[in-house]
Amino acid sequence: MKVSELMEALNLKLLTKDVALDGEVRGGYASDLLSNAMGQAQPDMVWVTMQGHQNIAAVASLIGLAAIIVAGDAPVAEDTLSKAELNDVVIFATEASAFEVIGKLYELGIGKE
Amino acid sequence: MRTFLVDLHIHSLLSPCAEVEMTPHHIVMRAAEFGIDAIAITDHNASANVEAALRAGERYGVKVFPGMEVECMEEAHIVVLFDCLTQLQAWQSIVDARMNGLKNNAEKFGAQFVVDDDDNFIREEERLLLAPLQMTAAEVVRQVEALGGMSIAAHVDRPAYSIVGQLGFIEPDFGFTAAELSTVGWRNNLQSRLQRLTGFLPYVTNSDAHNILDFVQGPKNLITVQELTLSELKLALKSSGGRLWQAGKFAKFED
Repeated sequence: MKVSELMEALNLKLLTKDVALDGEVRGGYASDLLSNAMGQAQPDMVWVTMQGHQNIAAVASLIGLAAIIVAGDAPVAEDTLSKAELNDVVIFATEASAFEVIGKLYELGIGKE
Repeated sequence: MRTFLVDLHIHSLLSPCAEVEMTPHHIVMRAAEFGIDAIAITDHNASANVEAALRAGERYGVKVFPGMEVECMEEAHIVVLFDCLTQLQAWQSIVDARMNGLKNNAEKFGAQFVVDDDDNFIREEERLLLAPLQMTAAEVVRQVEALGGMSIAAHVDRPAYSIVGQLGFIEPDFGFTAAELSTVGWRNNLQSRLQRLTGFLPYVTNSDAHNILDFVQGPKNLITVQELTLSELKLALKSSGGRLWQAGKFAKFED
């Protein structure tokens, strides 16, 4: 599934500007501990978190994640978005809880392959 | 220049997790007894026992830095220090406005007591102190700096409630003055392994004590400075002009 299809399916709000949405999503990871996400998330995964600090952009860029979904209406800092845009990292926001988001991702088949 | 033994992260009985023996007066008295020259009382999101510690400190000849252990929105702990009580009070009013409004459950989390410098009960703090503020780590560091204080990333080697645990790493321009290693982290020699993740910040070691035994036995710092002020502490952390900051030092005591 492509990042753009994911956005539509989950009705996500795109926060980053001018970042390509044609990446392929392969699997997912959820953690609010960045130290843990850094060690466990794999390239092309979608990452569900409630952290909005700019380090999430660095972690996503470092691993080569397909996208970040900031769940539960958690605030995302301004400098997080500028850093993400600079590094071609896609960040979505949603009011849905992390639990709901992950459930929907699973229904879509992400993480089952 | 003089050399001082300092411990800048100590909880009083205002912290729900601390023992009731941790009155400001008792902490200061033990500091004097064991040759600990300077301390900071750093309760979770609170500072109501600092004034008593300052008064006791004057009586016993122990320098007290007004401080607090702040829990930021990312659920990480930051030790903030100031030179004077008015700066800390200004900081406390910012903190008060960013609390979540929940009440403490003393049975589940522990009671939160405010006392005077003679160990007399003044009041019980009813707000839930063991909770994140609606303020990001970056904002904490920025606002503390603006008030003339300094910020230390607390127990960075611990997986829980540390900036490194929550945010993965510290950018060198984050604004922290130092990174604190926990007692266990220092014992396991994690300094070099964490150097890059902590943005090459200088290390400090404090007891982070919640009881008197941990306070007396826990790690401290031996610092060589002209006087005990935050600006001198900052210079010592940079080893500037012959000043020195040696982490991993302990009080001497007989068995």
